[in-house]
Amino acid sequence: MTPRVLVLAGYGLNCDYETEFAFEKSGAQAKRVHINSLISKEVSLTDFHILAFVGGFSWADDHGAGVIQAVRLKYNLGREILDFVEGGRLVIGICNGFQALVNLGLLPGLENDYTKRTVALTYNDSGNFRNAWVRVAANPKSPCVFTKGLGVVDMPIRHGEGKFFAEQDILDKLGENNQIALTYANLDGSPAQGKFPQNPNGSLLDIAGICDPTGRVFGLMPHPEAFIHPTNHPRWTFYREVQKRKGLENPPQPAIAVIKNAVDFAKQAF
Amino acid sequence: MPFVLEISLKPHLFDAHGASVAKKARDYFGIPIDSARVVTVLTLDMDLKPEQLESIRTEIFTNPVTQISSYKPLDIPFDWAIWVGFRPGVRDNPGATALEAIEDIFAKKLPPQSRVYTSRRFCIEGKISREQAATIATQLLANDLIQQVKIFSQKDWDPSTGTGVIAPKVLLNHKPVVSSIPIDSDESLLAVSQKRNLALNPNDIPTIRKYFQQKQVIVARRRVGLAEPTDIELEYISQARSDHCNHNTFNGRFLYREQGKKGITEINSLFKTCIEKPTLEIKAKKPWVVSVLWDNAGVARFDEDNCYTITGETHNSPSNMEAYGGAITGIVGVYRDPMGTGLGSKLIAGTWGFCVGPRDYDGPLTPKLHPRRLLDGVIEGVRDGGNKSGIPTPTGCLVFHPGYLGKCLVFVTALGIMPSKVGGKPSWEKTTKKGQLVVMCGGRVGKDGIHGVTASSEVFSANTPAGHVQIGDPYTQKKMMDFLLEARDEGLIAYITDNGGGGLSSSVGESARFSNGVEIALDKVPLKYEGLDQWEIWISESQERMTLAIEPKHLARFMDLSAKHAVESTVIGSYTDSGKLHITWKGETCAFVDLSLLTEDFPQWEFDALWLSPEERGLAEPVLSAPEGSYTGLLCDMLDMPNLCSREWINRQYDHEVQGTSVIKPFVGVFADVPSDAGVLRPVLSSEKGIAIAQALLPGYSAIDTYSMTACVMDEAVRRVIAVGADPEQIGGVDNFCWPTIAHDPKKNPDGQYKAAQLVRSCMALADICRAYNIPLLSGKDSMYVDGHLPGKYGERHKVSALPTLLFTTSAIVPDVKNCTTADFKMPGDLIYVLGITKNELGASQLYELLGHLGKNVPIVNPAENLALYRALHKAINQGLCASVRGIYQGGLGVALAMSALAGDLGIFADLSKVPREGNLNELALLFSESAGRFVVSVSHENRHAFEAAFAAFDVARVGLVSDTGDFAIRGLDRRTLVETDVNTLRAAWKRRLGGLI
Repeated sequence: MTPRVLVLAGYGLNCDYETEFAFEKSGAQAKRVHINSLISKEVSLTDFHILAFVGGFSWADDHGAGVIQAVRLKYNLGREILDFVEGGRLVIGICNGFQALVNLGLLPGLENDYTKRTVALTYNDSGNFRNAWVRVAANPKSPCVFTKGLGVVDMPIRHGEGKFFAEQDILDKLGENNQIALTYANLDGSPAQGKFPQNPNGSLLDIAGICDPTGRVFGLMPHPEAFIHPTNHPRWTFYREVQKRKGLENPPQPAIAVIKNAVDFAKQAF
Repeated sequence: MPFVLEISLKPHLFDAHGASVAKKARDYFGIPIDSARVVTVLTLDMDLKPEQLESIRTEIFTNPVTQISSYKPLDIPFDWAIWVGFRPGVRDNPGATALEAIEDIFAKKLPPQSRVYTSRRFCIEGKISREQAATIATQLLANDLIQQVKIFSQKDWDPSTGTGVIAPKVLLNHKPVVSSIPIDSDESLLAVSQKRNLALNPNDIPTIRKYFQQKQVIVARRRVGLAEPTDIELEYISQARSDHCNHNTFNGRFLYREQGKKGITEINSLFKTCIEKPTLEIKAKKPWVVSVLWDNAGVARFDEDNCYTITGETHNSPSNMEAYGGAITGIVGVYRDPMGTGLGSKLIAGTWGFCVGPRDYDGPLTPKLHPRRLLDGVIEGVRDGGNKSGIPTPTGCLVFHPGYLGKCLVFVTALGIMPSKVGGKPSWEKTTKKGQLVVMCGGRVGKDGIHGVTASSEVFSANTPAGHVQIGDPYTQKKMMDFLLEARDEGLIAYITDNGGGGLSSSVGESARFSNGVEIALDKVPLKYEGLDQWEIWISESQERMTLAIEPKHLARFMDLSAKHAVESTVIGSYTDSGKLHITWKGETCAFVDLSLLTEDFPQWEFDALWLSPEERGLAEPVLSAPEGSYTGLLCDMLDMPNLCSREWINRQYDHEVQGTSVIKPFVGVFADVPSDAGVLRPVLSSEKGIAIAQALLPGYSAIDTYSMTACVMDEAVRRVIAVGADPEQIGGVDNFCWPTIAHDPKKNPDGQYKAAQLVRSCMALADICRAYNIPLLSGKDSMYVDGHLPGKYGERHKVSALPTLLFTTSAIVPDVKNCTTADFKMPGDLIYVLGITKNELGASQLYELLGHLGKNVPIVNPAENLALYRALHKAINQGLCASVRGIYQGGLGVALAMSALAGDLGIFADLSKVPREGNLNELALLFSESAGRFVVSVSHENRHAFEAAFAAFDVARVGLVSDTGDFAIRGLDRRTLVETDVNTLRAAWKRRLGGLI
């Protein structure tokens, strides 16, 4: 069957079109749905297999990125979203969506508690918004559905509040559970170890994305939906020349694999 | 009594904003502060119970992982605390979203007078004086036009009351009143106009009086209870007749002559002669030009199913006073233009262009904002405006010049895309009809932007709205745009336009010309606060609003969608065919004017234009010999020039990939740090077609001849899109003029006639190059009066005029984005070619600037020769023959070679004796002449023969090769090695000045 994907929209979210396109391209049937259409029950979450919290500036990010989005969803759709997660369906949060997930408490979901805020995405150490491509490495031991077999990929980050922060005990648990699914890396794939600009925001443990203990809820700061064509990559004209001359080197593969993984999983699971 | 909530990061967490304040205090003013921490202050002006206060605090405004908060002042150590809050009436965007969140957790609407005001307290540690704290407060943290400040030393501070409670509420205590204006004589009307800031042109006054004295007008007005004109009527006329709305300068009559020559050329309207005429000629030849010269943006064909829309704007005066507010209002404002074009388009890109005084200016003049601070604010304004709108920013440019100390320039350009058909009809057509409803949607109306900056001279009281300086609200506008696109696709929109300059007066007035009449119930317009006069509501420029015509049968659905998107929409009247603009207030008529009044014969503006040639002005080439030693230091110093060095930090803050459309980004190369020639987007994700966008600014050339300035700017903008792979047959242009005042006045503007001649020559070049390159002007904009009066050292005031400035934007179709090229050298061993002829054209070049000369030989464009070359290059790019392509722009060949080498992180060997040239050029000219029409292209050995065959008929030569080391070497005419360095050294020089900024 074709998995159905609900892509949240409205209130300043702005990556809804390309996220919808990325899911469609990966074999799903995706639909952009205004947050208020879910609240008004015009659209029901139960009709979908994957819920995508997308990038943007919900409520202008005025009181902490993703904060008011989380408040609105928690007070109006809290139960439905928990049922969705507990029903084993998939949730991805990208950038502003990741920020909303941690403010909702859906991530990291330690001890099966999907309502508690224990981690944060706070201001970049640079103090400013930054758009740059980063290399990220997937943790092969992570249960994360989305990063399975991903290896090392390139994606852009575009945020002012992407520094992953948690107290040490929480970081330890995330590590133990292999919930740290994606980390910022050097060109050779080794950990960035906090070095700027490889780690673009000062994230602790180079964390770029985490999942819940089941691996079905995933949030990340980089944008896989912004690497849907080879021509999105900043070095694509160079790789084209290399390929033409030598026909050897493999150009970076679009990070759409993150999304395709979810669609493939849903095809099997539902 | 309002409640005050203080929020801060936990003490053990790094405060990035505080750190950047501390850094700027040290870097900008040498004030040695140790640290700064930021406290966010929310003043909740509403009734709340203790448990409600607690749930607001914990559920919304405090992140338990990172933040602490309290309704008592937080105990954070400081030597100085600086509190900064808005003045009444300044748009407080976070205050508005805070209200939304509070309503969400209480699941109910708050009483309408409820407000949240946001402010900040900076806790500064360091042994500094009160004066130094005040410098930080007023020159870094706050702008007194929109903000108020309180400074506390540790001794002043009362830990129980803290900053105190300050709720900047707007209280007008004014009953709206319509006034009649006597028109018994021209003099009395002029006197009222001056007293009330109506800004009526004295020459227009007889026409206005004549209208109101016509017998049938008097009779008709009597029937609706009016006699003399009302203030709202005269405000309407004044707005519509303003240079901003009516382009009186460009529609004026110019008498152009050249000093020392006989004869006068009369140009009746520069707009009609140099913009409209060539564009219509080209439109007749180019079916892809769909709709130009009338709507908010131009419309061009993208593919069979889609059109793209494009326009440009400036927001200079407001940015000059409040850089952040002016710039964010500017970019958010220009985004409404494509939205208000045809039946509405989705925004796909925005670009920026900033012209400011030298960043390190330390001369005697004191502008309102130092250029460094002004630039910081402008950059941040465009950042928040663009990023929060979800619109990518693929390119931009920046020019430093002392002429912009008087007034800065902030250019913003917007592109949109719309389906070719909406409901089976062409999307670019729209009209209003009798019976349709006038709907205003988006933001509410306050005293914003009324009479522009003249209001700044008013005295502030504690509750006077500081509304003349606006702060755009991209969040409210983004919601509105999402809503309007959905309404468009459902076929609910009959007509749409934006509310910009002139507010409802312009948007309603212009849309009513289609149906030939409108009735507006002004009391229906939703207000931010009570007490505005009717004329103020009518002309207020409050942002984030669109005006639409909706068929009554569509209203219910339209309002449903509006509610779904949390956007306010209000029916404020209906279109008629009465020929009248009819405005009522609670049932009583306050305006009743024939729409045809504005098409009456108002006197045309007239300008004498006197051109003094460079020779007449005594300009000459400098007597200058070529350096005898190494050129390496010279090349490094060129790369360090303010207008050539790296400005990566700007576009790095701008999201250039949202929407997933990015093909060529603002940066290219191994380290993604070298600016691309142009941005390329794939606006339809399922298509391989693209749009290239580029812009150019060369105001320095105006010091010699504005004709050449214009031709060179246009040629550069064209070459930029050609370089990335755009089709030369499908290039559109947007002209954006910013000029000093051209009306001659013996005292106030003694060189006005010369400045008028500069404008005439620029427009002549515009028409010539448009025709030669077949570029239709899809849109354009003019901002005159780029002058400032700055206090000097002794209390005297200097008029500072900007150089005549034209920002030219090109948009062009890329047939297949997979064929795009970038500037970076790709592979060692590739051959380097120079395309086009280098001439002795160092006038106003960066080299002369560095050496302290102006010269005379400004580059001359040869469009016919160039176009043939550009076509050949486009063909070669599509055949995959070019590994890299870069135009040669300011800084000449030397800088162009360096840029491609830095981008590829590869060295070169080049031989100047091979460079195609005209006449006997020395090496300085070969390396740094800024002749137009040239490129640097690298080619693989494999493609060498095909490439050379393709350019056999052109002035193209192989000048060197890409090396496999980082060594960068250039040999001169006598085989002497002139430059011998490496790419790391060049990169360091290029980043020395501004490379450390984030």
